[in-house]
Amino acid sequence: MDILRFFIGGVLPYVAVLVFVVAMVWRVRSWMKLPAPAMTLFPAPSPEGKANAINTAKEAVFFRSLYKGDKPLWVFAWGFHVVLALIFLGHLRVVSNIDQVFMTLGMTEAGIQGMSSGAGGAAGILILVTAVILLVRRLLLPRVREITSVGDILALSLIGAIVITGNMMRFAPEHFDLALTREYFANLATFGGVADAAALQNGVFLTHMCLALLLLMYIPFSKILHFGGIFFTHQLIRKQ
Amino acid sequence: MSDSDTELTREEIKKTVVDSISAIKDGPRSMRMYMEMCAKCGTCASVCPVYYGKSEKRFNPAERTDIIRRIYNKYNTTSGKLFGKLAGAEDFDPDDLEDWQKIWYECTGCRRCATFCPFGIDHSVITRKGRAILDKLGMTPDTMAKVVAISLETGNTDGAGESAFRAAIDFLEEEMEEEHGTPIKIPIDKVGAKYFYVPPSGDVLVNPEATMGVAKVFHVLGMADDWTMSSKCFDGANYGLFTGNDGDMKTDNKLYVDTAKELECDVMLMGECGHAYRIMKMMMEKSGWWGDLPFKVENCMPWTADRIKEGLIEFDKSKNPQPVTYHDPCNFGRSCNIVDEPRAILEASCQDFREMYPNRGENWCCGGGGGLSAMDDIIEFRMEVSGKKKMDQIRDTGAVYVATACSNCKRQLTQLMEHHEEQIEVGGVHDMLSRSILINGKAADRVDYTA
Repeated sequence: MDILRFFIGGVLPYVAVLVFVVAMVWRVRSWMKLPAPAMTLFPAPSPEGKANAINTAKEAVFFRSLYKGDKPLWVFAWGFHVVLALIFLGHLRVVSNIDQVFMTLGMTEAGIQGMSSGAGGAAGILILVTAVILLVRRLLLPRVREITSVGDILALSLIGAIVITGNMMRFAPEHFDLALTREYFANLATFGGVADAAALQNGVFLTHMCLALLLLMYIPFSKILHFGGIFFTHQLIRKQ
Repeated sequence: MSDSDTELTREEIKKTVVDSISAIKDGPRSMRMYMEMCAKCGTCASVCPVYYGKSEKRFNPAERTDIIRRIYNKYNTTSGKLFGKLAGAEDFDPDDLEDWQKIWYECTGCRRCATFCPFGIDHSVITRKGRAILDKLGMTPDTMAKVVAISLETGNTDGAGESAFRAAIDFLEEEMEEEHGTPIKIPIDKVGAKYFYVPPSGDVLVNPEATMGVAKVFHVLGMADDWTMSSKCFDGANYGLFTGNDGDMKTDNKLYVDTAKELECDVMLMGECGHAYRIMKMMMEKSGWWGDLPFKVENCMPWTADRIKEGLIEFDKSKNPQPVTYHDPCNFGRSCNIVDEPRAILEASCQDFREMYPNRGENWCCGGGGGLSAMDDIIEFRMEVSGKKKMDQIRDTGAVYVATACSNCKRQLTQLMEHHEEQIEVGGVHDMLSRSILINGKAADRVDYTA
């Protein structure tokens, strides 16, 4: 058990980040090397420069084409991704003492705690709800079900499991000690040795982190690659 | 297709297919990325005219693309090699080829999916890849293969010779003189004319009104000597785009470019043909297939619309009193950004112009795109599946004339109206102009155009 704990807490984080970074860089490089003849789709901005960047940004931030194509899906897909991004940002509190920044901005400790449990708690519920809706949609709508494969279910289930374990920590009766995780991540970042970190004694935390790291490694090799690809495909085909 | 069976063994066929799909690894970038990042969200299916017509798995754009993706994964991704089906990988089975001949011609290549896909995945690119593989195996459906062969042999898809063309032009000149009481010229092979007009397939022999319209515009502008047609190049259609054969596409294209050079024109003025203009403008000119060109590529609709805007052309709208709507051909609306100009021409020449919804870049395909329109062996599919949405859309406008700027669309729409027993006429944009343009202060004396 200690070996497993050490592997997940002390080895896997480095492996996962390395795999993710190397694989993503390799992916993007392999795309950029390939010839990309102009593919016009109109109405389109001028092929080069600013207009194209703005267009891509609109697609990546607002899912513009999807909004026009399938509004119900847009509501859940956009909601899902926005909450996911917020949750990602929220985790800054878990890995670092970002509270200090908020305090210099004039927030009280109680205020920060309130924002965290309020917004963070809502996000935890929302993401679960949207993930379930997306999964149910995938299984119910024939046009989506018939193109669904194991990988699609796996990606959603993995995210679902991460969300559930995350919520278990937030909504558990016993207090979750942020000081412990901050200390752990500080040591991790400075290669300070984490074998006996107290945070790793929390089984739910360990599971949550393990799944999240698996997800990180899964991104470059799965359909979740759209996370990076969207910035490139929209530059290939230009629309406004 | 039976030829190829005797020539190629199963192993050779399999190798050709697998090699061709594995080549996607080396680009183009779009194709490689489409292999790697579809989220399988189903948006393409909800905006696809074929899937609208019949919601079956085989008509789902994402599934059609997945046919290629599965083979790609099998041979080119580690996960595909290790986990097979679990990682979305599957080997190619030569027995599937018979179905491939159908399935790659069940996508109209209209690119509506690309318009709405959250990642801009253009399934028509994969459709063309599937067709290119078939073509490499000599398995392009006979109807399509024949059109390409005739086109490469004669320079036009009808297989017409120079004498037939000249006779048709003589006839059009006579018609116009009869209509307006004054000779209106259509110059042929005139070296040094500023504009070289390239009409779409059939616009001289089958639907000649648009050509008359263009001739009348030049006449009214006092530019009757500034333009010409060619007795060898009078059909802009290029089926190499549809069969996925780049070599055929370029060979077909070269004759037109060479002719334009011989004619020493300044402008190659493309007619009402979406894919012909797209190939000339967006592919040939943009990518510089033949190096620097001594001429520009333009389209006749913006050209005429600009002259109307300048107030140089006048109309008697009462000649076109009936409700008229415009069907945006996919290649003009989605791929070439020519959407407002045909409307400007129709609004100037017709009393009751009506929009069809949605339109412009979001318009639904006629159901005959990607060359399907020429395939009478799949007419049932075109009438009942791929063209279903278009029929509904046209009915909703209440129009009795559908103008469109594409010979593929015209053929498909005409057949749709016959099949669904609708009394709706289908024609071109310059056709309506031809009926109402004022020449010497008077529009053509003619009532029945359907005869």
